[in-house]
Amino acid sequence: MTDIGVKKELVAGRPDLWLRMENNPIPSCPGCHEPTAMRAILEALEELDAVGDAVMVVGVGCSFAFQSMVDLDYLVCAHGRPPDGASAVKRVLKGDHVVFTIQGDGDCIAIGAGALINAAARAEKITIFMLNNANYGTTGGQLAPTTPLGHVTSTTPGGRTPAHGYPVRVPELLATFQGVAYTARGAMNSPANYQKTKGYIKKAFAAQRVSLGLSFVEMLCACPPNWHMTPLDSLKWLEQTVIPQFPLGEFKDVQGASGKTQEATR
Amino acid sequence: MARGEIVIDENFCKGCGYCSKFCARGCIEQNGDRFSPQGYILAVFAHPEKCNACGVCAWMCPDHAIEAYRLVEAQTTAHS
Amino acid sequence: MADRLFVQGNEAVAWGAVSAGCEAFFGYPITPQNEITEWFAREFPRMGRVFLQSQSETGSINMLHGAAACGVRAMTSTSGPGWGLMQEGMSNLANAELPCVVVLVQRGGPGAGTTRHAQMDYASATHGGGAGGYRNIVLAPASVQELHDFMPLAFHLADKYRNPVVVLSDAILGQMAEPLERKQLEFEPLPPKDWAVLGKAHHADGKRRGISIGQGFIPNPDFPTYLSFIDHLDKKTKQMRQDEVRFEALNVESARLILVAYGSMARACQGAMEMARAEGLDVGMLRPITLWPFPSQAIRRNIREGVQFLVVEDSLGQMVEDVETAVGERAPVHFLGMLARHEPREMGMIFPDRILEKIKEICRK
Repeated sequence: MTDIGVKKELVAGRPDLWLRMENNPIPSCPGCHEPTAMRAILEALEELDAVGDAVMVVGVGCSFAFQSMVDLDYLVCAHGRPPDGASAVKRVLKGDHVVFTIQGDGDCIAIGAGALINAAARAEKITIFMLNNANYGTTGGQLAPTTPLGHVTSTTPGGRTPAHGYPVRVPELLATFQGVAYTARGAMNSPANYQKTKGYIKKAFAAQRVSLGLSFVEMLCACPPNWHMTPLDSLKWLEQTVIPQFPLGEFKDVQGASGKTQEATR
Repeated sequence: MARGEIVIDENFCKGCGYCSKFCARGCIEQNGDRFSPQGYILAVFAHPEKCNACGVCAWMCPDHAIEAYRLVEAQTTAHS
Repeated sequence: MADRLFVQGNEAVAWGAVSAGCEAFFGYPITPQNEITEWFAREFPRMGRVFLQSQSETGSINMLHGAAACGVRAMTSTSGPGWGLMQEGMSNLANAELPCVVVLVQRGGPGAGTTRHAQMDYASATHGGGAGGYRNIVLAPASVQELHDFMPLAFHLADKYRNPVVVLSDAILGQMAEPLERKQLEFEPLPPKDWAVLGKAHHADGKRRGISIGQGFIPNPDFPTYLSFIDHLDKKTKQMRQDEVRFEALNVESARLILVAYGSMARACQGAMEMARAEGLDVGMLRPITLWPFPSQAIRRNIREGVQFLVVEDSLGQMVEDVETAVGERAPVHFLGMLARHEPREMGMIFPDRILEKIKEICRK
């Protein structure tokens, strides 16, 4: 019988590597960009055909809960210690594994600064992802090293001032290390930024796979409840306040990761 | 123009509003007449006729609640 | 490779680890264990195994966490101050149920203390630091040979219970040299580490593996609730208490005075015991080999009319509390500690003749 009908082709949906826990929504706040950052990472892994060799090393923070939601081999480390754990995993597995960390800003550059700096100094062939939501999300929105000046947090009730120190720009910092092959900062606050960030992620994985050195991608993420804003307002605030203090782009791209030497595009 | 369709899983939508903001064609609305089991104001696929299956809503949804489809005319089949 | 060597205790640890199939070592410089780290730095690259010097002992224990999660036999070694930085890591290893070995070469405490010998980490080694709720086996060698032999034993027990094991040495044992007979020790076979993280493509069933430090808190099929996980730890702890107690008993059957000492102090006590017996004093010795689980039964079995105990520790008294708990009020427990050292500077030691003096003092009463 002739059958003039309409076929539905899936264009985009839940990442294949994302596991649903029955009908429970993702344990994240409305408008939180951390699951979006995870989506970009998981899609990159699929597109690079690296899923079977991937080991995800998770720190302690909002992304701690993702350990049970992602269909990858994973290892959870102490708060701030994923670079230590990942260094060991990469070295003992000896295969061409893709080992990457998922850390928040506090996990990565506050309590974990020692581990991060020394993994970079050792040129560990791992990829570090820092999900920067400008505060300690899980614990109720305290000051983090990456909290922008002027921002109110539960431990800077009057807004961050130089008395609380200055925001740390991690990809720029790590770009100065000889052992670092690629650093970039992206954001999840628009479709264009999402696609650009996914490109940075794939370059970071590429740098790891050709053993050039440590690769690092920071992803600016909205955190509406702790910023005391609606999700849509937090997108504006990210654009107007955060990005000016945390410029997007690539800060180091040693030849091979992208086929051309590019010290910095900023 | 390609034609598309989206399905929003009401168990997972948290009403953040990103999908409706980033839909270039205004297909998704959030006017507060539908709520999720958790009490979030649901996003609703209000204007299917405008949808061109770009999929932006799906990858901008932080809760992976949206599936975006492209509607493709099935070839006519000569025999059963 | 020669079977008989004349080596320092610290080096014997390394030979023992190699015989146990240790594949990875992570360490940080701290006296008095540097010879261990330096041996691995020299030898492991040649063997195609992993040596990595960390940026701190917090780094070492978390690298150990990573390696153990991949199912590899791995270890670290440190001393008091570094051991302090490893407490969070030890607690995480226990929650994640990761087998590994930590060699703790004791030095004087507290704080920076001294770089010389002491036995002042007994309490923290046997009671589990960091977030509480776990125990771990602690082995106490008293010779270069035991430092070698206890490494394969430690790795076996770690794998058997999927828990970290501490080998408690000190600067005397670590720095002194004795003949060592290298031999391969055999243990009962253990199941393969099907739980290890390797990357999905590297599992026969292709299903993901995961190691978490929040078991029971983050739901996983094995432990849907927190208490279901804590109950699992309770059973594991009880099993270790029941099956893994080790000690050495010398002349205790008729002894009127039983010395209780471990590690280097057990060597001094053995000398004192032999001198006392030569003078007709009925003195025996109980040497705990597992400091946890503590051999309380072995002590209680020797309580009888007129018996007394003398605990000798190169500290102000930590194991003595476990002895007192085991003995209760049923017999006197005397103590001789580091204030009886032969001289006040950090190199002072408790010599056998000082212990003999105390023995006589007790027996005269």
